[in-house]
Amino acid sequence: MFFELNSFALVGIEAITISVEAHISNGLPSFTIVGLPDKAINESRQRVKAAIINSGYNFPMKKIIINLSPADLKKEGALYDLPIAIAILSVSSQIKIRHKDKCCFIGELSLDGNLNSVRGIISMAEEASRIGKKYFFMPYSNAEQASLIKNIKIIPCKSLKDIIQLCSSNENLSVQYFPIYSTKIESICNDLDFCDIRGQLRSKRAIEIAASGMHNLMLIGPPGAGKTMLSKRIISILPKLSLNESIEVTKIYSLHKQNNSNLIRQRPFRNPHHTITRISLVGGGSIPRPGEISLAHRGVLFLDEFSLFPRTLIEDLRQPLENKDITISRNNISYKFPCSFMLIVATNPCICGYLGDERKKCTCRTGEIRKYWNSISGPIMDRIDMKVDVPRLEDGDFINSGFTESSGTITKRVEECREIQKERYENTNINYNAEVSSRIIYSWVDKNNELKKLIPELTKKYNLSARAIASLIKVSRTIADIEKSKDIKLSYFMEALQYRINTGLENIINN
Amino acid sequence: MDNIDEISKKILYLIANFNVKQSEIIEIYKKNDFNIAKTLNSETFKNKSAPLQLGNDKILDFDNMIAYLGKNNINVLNISGKFYPKLLREIFYPPPVLFFKGNQILKSDYLLAIVGTRKCSAYGKDVARYISRQLSKIGITIVSGMASGIDYWAQKAALEEKGSSIGILGCGIDIIYPPENKDLYSQLMDTGSLLTEFFPGTPPLKSNFPARNRIISGMSMGVVVIEAGIKSGALITGEFALNQNREVFAIPGSIFNSESQGCHKLIKNGAKLVENIDDILEEISQYYKNDISCDFQNESPADNFKQNEKIDILVKTLNEKQKIVFDCLGCLPKSIEKIVFETKFKVNDVLQIISELEIKELVKEKKYNAFIRL
Repeated sequence: MFFELNSFALVGIEAITISVEAHISNGLPSFTIVGLPDKAINESRQRVKAAIINSGYNFPMKKIIINLSPADLKKEGALYDLPIAIAILSVSSQIKIRHKDKCCFIGELSLDGNLNSVRGIISMAEEASRIGKKYFFMPYSNAEQASLIKNIKIIPCKSLKDIIQLCSSNENLSVQYFPIYSTKIESICNDLDFCDIRGQLRSKRAIEIAASGMHNLMLIGPPGAGKTMLSKRIISILPKLSLNESIEVTKIYSLHKQNNSNLIRQRPFRNPHHTITRISLVGGGSIPRPGEISLAHRGVLFLDEFSLFPRTLIEDLRQPLENKDITISRNNISYKFPCSFMLIVATNPCICGYLGDERKKCTCRTGEIRKYWNSISGPIMDRIDMKVDVPRLEDGDFINSGFTESSGTITKRVEECREIQKERYENTNINYNAEVSSRIIYSWVDKNNELKKLIPELTKKYNLSARAIASLIKVSRTIADIEKSKDIKLSYFMEALQYRINTGLENIINN
Repeated sequence: MDNIDEISKKILYLIANFNVKQSEIIEIYKKNDFNIAKTLNSETFKNKSAPLQLGNDKILDFDNMIAYLGKNNINVLNISGKFYPKLLREIFYPPPVLFFKGNQILKSDYLLAIVGTRKCSAYGKDVARYISRQLSKIGITIVSGMASGIDYWAQKAALEEKGSSIGILGCGIDIIYPPENKDLYSQLMDTGSLLTEFFPGTPPLKSNFPARNRIISGMSMGVVVIEAGIKSGALITGEFALNQNREVFAIPGSIFNSESQGCHKLIKNGAKLVENIDDILEEISQYYKNDISCDFQNESPADNFKQNEKIDILVKTLNEKQKIVFDCLGCLPKSIEKIVFETKFKVNDVLQIISELEIKELVKEKKYNAFIRL
């Protein structure tokens, strides 16, 4: 006797279809699973047996073989408990599944026959919808995430019994499917708000610009100036995630066991400590998992105390920053994780931290300061468009800083600015000003006589490199978008000049 | 080229082979009424033995050293030689020999030292360049320590002005220290000169620098201190200068800048406050006759006044908003926050105007987020 049904295996964040085959024959009673199962799948024999008995069915005392095909792909996790149980019950003719070919099953069983949630459900639902399945039976707690996928009916179940009732009865399955939980993405209230920050007007403006154009940002300042405080609030001014983005992010997060029920509605903000390992930063492991850079997808990767991160680790960021994804290869398969994030780094200006501070004297030697800056990767510095000093506030600034804008107002401007960019880069693979290539940059300059005249003059005066100028123009473009101007006016370029590395600091670094 | 004369060779021989201290040579030299021949034949040296450990792989003994000096084109000036800096002979313990490398043998009698902090502010840098350039124009040679910061900028400016400059090292003449000043080192070798009392191969030990500072002040008519912390090498140089009866000049700075405190201390103790090079020339006139001042008439009155006029003209070209921001700024640094608060402009407007003023060279970012009028 033979029975087959469909289920899914995870490869990276993508799911692929596999079939669960069951064969039952006379002989000494045994229960074998083949098809490169891992430990968790092998243990599912015990769970399935107990769950079937506790749900009121018989576990056949025959020779049972389960095959997970394709047989050469390694499979992991406890997610095949449900399909195996269904297959055994069907093959022993205890139940009959209607629309067998339109159904697929996933879920972990507990001994009493209840269903527990599994990882990576969105990817699986997506794959199920792609191959034309109609009904997807899954644990109740996974249903909310899965309901985002269109063209497939998600049928959440609490126990094995529920499922058998549903798929063997004559009730219309479509009545049962889970109402789509919420496609509307509400903004989440956050107690971090920009109105908490007094003074720091230049830094705040810089962060608004960076958020609008997705420019990578570096904050330089003495300890206690507010670099971390500022960075943590960036998330409060980024536009809401769109539905598609939300699915992308949730997909990555659903690979983590701790998140398999909720939909991620807030842009991620990842803040790894500098002792982080290479694998947890970029992703990897024997069965590759996404690293911090992928977990920061569509959000912010914030590296505090940037200079303390090992050089090799930082160099690993070069390609992901450029390609917006990372490919991790294992001997027969490569895994691709997306990682389109905004990089924000914060660092002290020198080892003691007080270089350029008004009140506390820096005790570093010039050689040390230069060494400190040399230790920060040049190629990464090049990819950071904006570098802003965050000074310590003077006594008066706390009171005199005037009105402080709330994050809500800033977000509105950021969103408008992103709309403008969306329109401009329609039908290209560019999303934000920060991603623009130098060819487009120079076409902007060519149209702009004022800029054309000024740039050579400034290059000489400030000793700017070609890349520095490109960064300046990109930032000016974003400022122009914030101000809803079609051209890059000279004044925007002038403002952008303020978001370079401090000239005083530059003097010390370059002597 | 014979770069080492017989007397120098003898002195080096004494030091290298008999472990005679340099100060001992000077003491006996003084006792013998500054007669070098008598000094070198003195009985005192004959009892000495035990060769000096030169501590260098390349230079093992005296012969080796002579060969090394010849190969690397290092000249040796001895205290009785005619190229030995005149004023340096007068100090308490002048070095009996100096190692010299460079393009011009020291012929200028008009040496002036400019020293200061390694971590100079934008103001300090500007002063160093300004003073050094003005002095170079009238033929004064700038002596300094070749360190980063003030020293670097002063010497750089002197060389740019086609003036000459002497770098005094705190290590062997074949060692570039600090390594980041390689460009200055090679420039000095091409168009200026390098001088040290330390044997080739001597590393830049901490204790070498005060000794070097006594040479900087000792060979100069005076020392101009531009930005010095309260405990700094530049201040030590200033104190040496006082002991050696040289003129000490100090540039005033902001009272909020800790790097100016040393200068202010000097001024309180009687150093001359310098606003332009007239202040310097007035004091050192005893050292020169007419050959400097005649040139000088054309170049002074100090550029300061011209600068002010230039600024006045520029200010007239400012638009209304720029003028408001410019008026809001003064000589004391102000943060963007303060400017925004006082002018009631938007942040982005202020940032943009500041850039415009910076380009016009009316305003400068002195430190982080602290702007001053120029």
